[in-house]
Amino acid sequence: MIEAGHFFACLALMLSLWLAFAGLGGDRRLAGRVACGLFLALALSFLTLIVAFMRSDFSVALVASNSHTMKPLLYKFAGTWGNHEGSMALWCLVMGGFAAAGALLMRSERPVFEARTLGVQGLLTSGALAYLLFASSPFTRLEAPPLQGADLNPLLQDPALAAHPPMLYLGYVGYSFVFAMAAAGLLEGRVDRVWARIARPWAMAAFVPLTLGIGLGSYWAYYELGWGGWWFWDPVENASLMPWLVGAAFLHSVVVTEKRDSLRAWTVLLAVMAFCFSILGAFLVRSGLLTSVHAFAVDPTRGALLLTGLLVYGGGALGLFALRAPRLKGGPAHLLVSREGAIIGNNLVLSVATLTVLLGTLFPLLAEAFGQVMSVGEPYFSLTFTPIMALALVALPVVQAWSWGKADWRSVWRWALGFAAIVAVFWLFGVAAFDIPLLAGTGFALGVWLVFGAAWEIWRRAGSLRRLGRLPARVWGMTLAHAGLGVFTLGAVGETALRFHGTLALQQGQEVELAGWTFRLDDVDSIEGPNWYADRAYLTVMRGERAAVLEPEKRIYPAARMPTTETAIYTMGATDLYVALGDRRTVEGTPRWTFEVFINPMIGLVYWGVCLIGLGGLLSLLPRARRRRTAGDAA
Amino acid sequence: MMQACLLSLVLSLLQVGTMLEDPAAEARAQDLMREIRCVACENEPISQSGSDIAADMRDRVRAMVAAGESDDDIRDWFVTRYGDFVLFRPRADGVSGGLLWGLPFFLLAVGAAWLVVRRREQDDAGSGIEAVPAEGAEFDASGAEENAR
Repeated sequence: MIEAGHFFACLALMLSLWLAFAGLGGDRRLAGRVACGLFLALALSFLTLIVAFMRSDFSVALVASNSHTMKPLLYKFAGTWGNHEGSMALWCLVMGGFAAAGALLMRSERPVFEARTLGVQGLLTSGALAYLLFASSPFTRLEAPPLQGADLNPLLQDPALAAHPPMLYLGYVGYSFVFAMAAAGLLEGRVDRVWARIARPWAMAAFVPLTLGIGLGSYWAYYELGWGGWWFWDPVENASLMPWLVGAAFLHSVVVTEKRDSLRAWTVLLAVMAFCFSILGAFLVRSGLLTSVHAFAVDPTRGALLLTGLLVYGGGALGLFALRAPRLKGGPAHLLVSREGAIIGNNLVLSVATLTVLLGTLFPLLAEAFGQVMSVGEPYFSLTFTPIMALALVALPVVQAWSWGKADWRSVWRWALGFAAIVAVFWLFGVAAFDIPLLAGTGFALGVWLVFGAAWEIWRRAGSLRRLGRLPARVWGMTLAHAGLGVFTLGAVGETALRFHGTLALQQGQEVELAGWTFRLDDVDSIEGPNWYADRAYLTVMRGERAAVLEPEKRIYPAARMPTTETAIYTMGATDLYVALGDRRTVEGTPRWTFEVFINPMIGLVYWGVCLIGLGGLLSLLPRARRRRTAGDAA
Repeated sequence: MMQACLLSLVLSLLQVGTMLEDPAAEARAQDLMREIRCVACENEPISQSGSDIAADMRDRVRAMVAAGESDDDIRDWFVTRYGDFVLFRPRADGVSGGLLWGLPFFLLAVGAAWLVVRRREQDDAGSGIEAVPAEGAEFDASGAEENAR
């Protein structure tokens, strides 16, 4: 069975090479067909992997080392990509999927460009497939199959984590298609507004799942790791943040190229860099260069291969770029104070923010090369990344009304006054009356400012209530995403500045007060799941009218010999009361259970904000379909 | 320093993970715990880690805060013991510290300056720039132009 998968993967490698030749040769029709065949072969190959996992076929080495017969069905299924080899197979599948989707959906007046895009995608897929087949094959058999598997890392046995990798890969790998478009455009020497119009929706189609995938991962880390936080500036998280930032920069600059036919070289450079950062992320996570709590499949040789791939593809594209960039100058002139200027400013901030994340992530490595051992963590990023991004956020509501070419900057003073007023309100009421930190008050003001700015922009564009519904979906999408940024900011600031963390050590039946809440430990049970044992605490929490029983668990997965925490979360609006069960310890002569208690105010807004950004991105994809239909009708 | 060690010794004998009475002091201690890296774990601050040494390190931070030592004193104590590795907020001194902390802001400043200077030159050259409203170009103008091609 798995041999069939191996065969289809080899076939896919042949097809991807064929796609590269046909596509780069400019044969759009043939390239389209081969792309669909490539996807089919990859899908069949991946299917055999899934079947092997579902049937717990332990003669397959990958299944034996990552699955278990007692594991719930969902995690047998999701376990397919819960390991290095399987996730690389998924990576290849998504690459082929984008090639097929491109072959079926691209309908521009540039067939040669489309063919070359598919060709480059084929070239990229062949590299990924070669890496899969020759350096991390999921298809190897064991001579003596074990009776039982070693089980999937228990931390990954979670619904959010089952969906997280496919989402993330749609994003990472989606940028491969944008990269292919950039390379094809550079090959032709034509990166113009038509190119921008074709490329933008594909970049959006990568950006939205990447956003949601990062959100899912963060949500998982929040409730599964039991640390109370939602972002730890871990190298793995940073690896996903960097392509997101570059992708966001691209989505802004591509608008300038589409509307004004300028900023072309920069836009195409970002299209190349977004995918380079995706590969860099994969390299950092999988090479073992950086230690991380959730890096898996660490192997230096594989890392070296990934780095080679990055250098070949990235270097090739950048070389092509250097060759063609001089031809990509021009476009209508504009003043610094203009819509173009604003978007360039946005790109400057996002680029510097990306480099800051890169610097912070790699610096310990660089320092080690010079014989210095050091760490870079959350405090560094809070003090560099955050204020730099805040600059762009403060400016956003002001500059989004600016017109192309030159803008009326005299209204800036009015806007500055408005911002100052909001900040003053939060300082007076929040800081003076409710005693929140000064910086947090400023942060809240910023969040409200962004939401207000989004509402203002919608209102300005509509002009009247009646026309509100007739605004293009793209405007709604942009505004929703920007409002989501504001909602996210409110949540992030609230959680960071106002969170409470305490530790409890309770005897059975004991009642304790902490941070305004009463906690009573009713009982601790030993329970048994399909493939785990757990201690489950029944903790009654009370505050005024509110009362609930929280049931945090500490699980042991015997097959993997690993404990996990299952937190219990009591949600009140956007605020969470969050409890993780700790160890049983003897304190003051009596055995007690320890609990980590967090009160995370406004944490829900972080996730609602991320969802809004994703929803905005989806919405902005809509009008394209409508316009294509009208164009088709006219023809 | 001596005083802190004695105090922490007494505290560690008492019980595990006791929070400080004074909320302000506890908040300060927790901020420090997020900055100090557990020396036994992969990549976690002592505020998160479940290891025994992290618990000891947390108690040490609380004891030193309770003894009235400044944040810098506490960081210094840990650095002397475990090296720079233990700080998640790397020091800003020396070449590496300056590079790490300064480079982001330097890049931002250089980028902004470059944009302003370059635009000045263009502004002098290209007068008579027309303002095109964002919502005008948003939809109709570009669409019409492409169809005309």
